[in-house]
Amino acid sequence: MTDQSWAKHVADVLRRNDIRLYPTVPDFIVSHVLDELGADPECRVITTTREEEAVGLLSGAWLAGHRGALLMQNSGLGNCTNALASLNVASLVPLVLVMSQRGDLGEFNPAQVPMGRALTRLLEALGIRWIRPTSIAELEQQADGLIKLCYVSGQPVAIVLPTELTGGKKG
Amino acid sequence: MSPLTRAGATRCLASRLTNEVVVSNLGQASLDLLAIADRPLNCYTFGAMGQCSSIGLGIAIGRPDVRVICLDGDGSLLMNLGSLCTIAAEAPRNYVLMVWDNEVHQTTGGQPTATARRASLVAIARGAGIEKGLEVRTPDELERAVDRILAEDGPFVVVVKVDRGSTTAAFDPDVIGQPARFRKALAAL
Repeated sequence: MTDQSWAKHVADVLRRNDIRLYPTVPDFIVSHVLDELGADPECRVITTTREEEAVGLLSGAWLAGHRGALLMQNSGLGNCTNALASLNVASLVPLVLVMSQRGDLGEFNPAQVPMGRALTRLLEALGIRWIRPTSIAELEQQADGLIKLCYVSGQPVAIVLPTELTGGKKG
Repeated sequence: MSPLTRAGATRCLASRLTNEVVVSNLGQASLDLLAIADRPLNCYTFGAMGQCSSIGLGIAIGRPDVRVICLDGDGSLLMNLGSLCTIAAEAPRNYVLMVWDNEVHQTTGGQPTATARRASLVAIARGAGIEKGLEVRTPDELERAVDRILAEDGPFVVVVKVDRGSTTAAFDPDVIGQPARFRKALAAL
């Protein structure tokens, strides 16, 4: 049984690391995190038309002195791969990616499976450090360190939210 | 033939700048800006084709006290038309998007873009919800547009129809040093 407080834990990890700007292309799973952030007057959620646009926006915000995180489905990683590589990785512009992992355990839609399978290998091909916590305890143990690494190294990092943590989407 | 060139329009804008941020699109726009008016508050972009307008939006949101002028190209903006919708929705008053529209993919050999056919970027911007959309075709119109964007609240989209032609300016490969210089200069402003 999934502990439904996982979304608040994700939001809290981001907020306590001074992340306030959240461009997003929403997804059923990350919408639970967006509900937490959207209710917080100190946080700004901006819905973009495509994930790549959010990468540009967050890169500009960081150049202006602000931290931000992109909330999306793993399919969105495919939509922003070139921007992450040629801007963030190449120019040392850090940002935090938070993405649900569709296409893995319990998936009901065959179309989600190829990107779900490619997800962590795609991140590794880009040299992006990632965590994939399967419990709230793992999230709490790893996420602060990952975000610290992001800004120390000037590189994007990714928090992958698997079905084991979130309960996934039932169909 | 347009009476305006990209380099001439860049000079017209640069001669009026004080403490505005200028974000330039990869390729021609950045090369011209670097050669004509290099300054620490220039944010050159090197990769992420299409993202110039979005990078500028992030800067404008992060620093509402500073006017941000993006210099995009027609080919690049056509890759990220959704950005116009987000700009309209967020409506930062300190945001200006200028587009050097020469109707071709200049860097790759001059292949026509959609603006050489039937597309109008200023009509698309207005349709996205940006009320202050201007199209500029002459030096006089450019002067008046530059006066407005430096004085009035935005967001603005200014499509500048410019002549075709590649710059001869040299490429600066410092993809790490240039953004770092910009970030430091903006923090100090």
